[in-house]
Amino acid sequence: MRDTSTAFRVKKALGYAMMLAFLGFSLLPVVWVVLLSLRPATALFEPIWESPAAWTLDNIRSIARSDFPAALLNSFITAGSSTLLALLVGVPGAFALSKRRASNKFFASWLLLLLRMAPPVGFVIPLFLVYVRAGLIDTYAGLIFAYTSLTLPFVVWSMWTSFNQIPDELVEAGLMDGASLGRVLWRIVIPAARPGLVAAGVLSFLLAWNDFFFSLIITRSDTTTAPVAVMNFVSYASVDWGAIAVASIALTLPIVPIIVLANKYIVQSLGGAVKG
Amino acid sequence: MGSITLSKVVKRFGEAEVIPPLDLGIRDGEFVVFVGPSGCGKSTLLRMIAGLEDLTEGNIEIGGRDVSHLAPGDRGLAMVFQSYALYPHMTVRENMLFPLEMAKVDARTARDKVARAAEVLNLSAYLERKPGQLSGGQRQRVAIGRAIVREPSAFLFDEPLSNLDAALRVNMRLEIAELHETLGSTMIYVTHDQVEAMTMADRIVVLQAGRIEQVGTPLELYEQPRNEFVAGFIGSPRMNFIRGAEAERLGAPTIGIRPEHIRASRESGLWGGRVSVSEHLGSDTYLHVDTDVGPVNVRTAGEFGVHRGDTVWLNPDENAIHRFDAQGLAL
Repeated sequence: MRDTSTAFRVKKALGYAMMLAFLGFSLLPVVWVVLLSLRPATALFEPIWESPAAWTLDNIRSIARSDFPAALLNSFITAGSSTLLALLVGVPGAFALSKRRASNKFFASWLLLLLRMAPPVGFVIPLFLVYVRAGLIDTYAGLIFAYTSLTLPFVVWSMWTSFNQIPDELVEAGLMDGASLGRVLWRIVIPAARPGLVAAGVLSFLLAWNDFFFSLIITRSDTTTAPVAVMNFVSYASVDWGAIAVASIALTLPIVPIIVLANKYIVQSLGGAVKG
Repeated sequence: MGSITLSKVVKRFGEAEVIPPLDLGIRDGEFVVFVGPSGCGKSTLLRMIAGLEDLTEGNIEIGGRDVSHLAPGDRGLAMVFQSYALYPHMTVRENMLFPLEMAKVDARTARDKVARAAEVLNLSAYLERKPGQLSGGQRQRVAIGRAIVREPSAFLFDEPLSNLDAALRVNMRLEIAELHETLGSTMIYVTHDQVEAMTMADRIVVLQAGRIEQVGTPLELYEQPRNEFVAGFIGSPRMNFIRGAEAERLGAPTIGIRPEHIRASRESGLWGGRVSVSEHLGSDTYLHVDTDVGPVNVRTAGEFGVHRGDTVWLNPDENAIHRFDAQGLAL
């Protein structure tokens, strides 16, 4: 029966009000950055709610002429590659951990958690020293491997959970039907765990996409990623806030369609549902 | 072709011996049921035959070929699981095509085989549906269909009806029995339900703690149980066991008498007692009677009009009494 009492309506209205307030609070910086990006340099520090004398696209033009587009491409290449690498290695690894009868699973889970939880600063110094000797500083490979140290434990951890929800009998049925383990994984297990896979892929991409620290230490100029390139607009003499605003939008925009498309899967995966 | 021979088969998980050395021969075309209480090793044994569990020792031959170390898919067997184990993202047709695709059967032959199996199992109308859109019984039929299309040398069923409701279970039981008649293939069927075992099997293998207690036809097990365990496990309601002076008087440390082999009377009999529970099913009446020799269950045909607290007399059929020694072995 629908509850139509006044108390219920008040509670509902309060709920909506709180949600709207939180939404406004979360979106305010985004709106601010958009408004900032369209203002001329002279009007940057005027109150944001006042319309400037003239809107301008100068900030966008100056970004387009800078190294930032190249850095954005670097971000794509490194975050995309490390995600692919992590999925390629991590998915079979998670499958083995989930479905193989092994006594050292506890140790494996503990180690993975440690890797997930440890702050990057913990391994960036040794990584830097190794990279200097190996000639991996300021290379795509160097950055991709470094990102994979972030994304791989994440993929294994989350796919392990997803695979645990797939009944062992499904794997066994595949084996009885004459499929190899690899075929079972590819044809049966992965399609059944698709929400988890999409979520793991998207979230690990974001993990690498949003990284600042590894890129700051490992890259110099050739492979600088977008979050570090934003800092190039800060100099000793001035801070180009307009350009920073445009760069922030450029960094956020590519993520939006990914999140929108993958939203369903991410929610399903975090909710722990693998639908039959 | 579909004969299966287990020789000195052993399974250990670490220190625990789940299946002690075991020998068993299953003839081509036979319907064999493994039955026993939970944890008796019947599913483990089936999975060892399937290749889903490694053998610790011993070997398994199928159709005269040693398959002990072959992958599950290379043994020429098909298995139907308790949870159906249908691939959730594939349609019924794709589910049934999958094993044929793995066996590299050409597309046309595969399509024909699936169409034929679907017809036999009344699934033709559901071929484009996903498993999630089917009822429990239909899902189980798809699982059977997926097994049939492979034309295996033997079928393995792991408690396939446990997830179905009672009415459907009876139907599917008949369908599987008919399928066995039609295909004539070897079938091994695992269940803890002794009614399923009795109604479907050519031979029943009764297991306890990984050991074979007895192998025989359903009636052999019913009429000549080798020990108390088999006597108690086969038959419903369970056999009554009586020990002590009354058993000694009848010639053994323990005697067993089935509920249907005791005649109840209001006037006279060997054992007198008071009815503690009476169940009136119309076709039968089940009485639970507290007697001087202990609690005794009785099954009488038709309606027997006694109720809780009434006094009844029980007369066991002397010829149907089973006698066991102190170790529980039949005398």
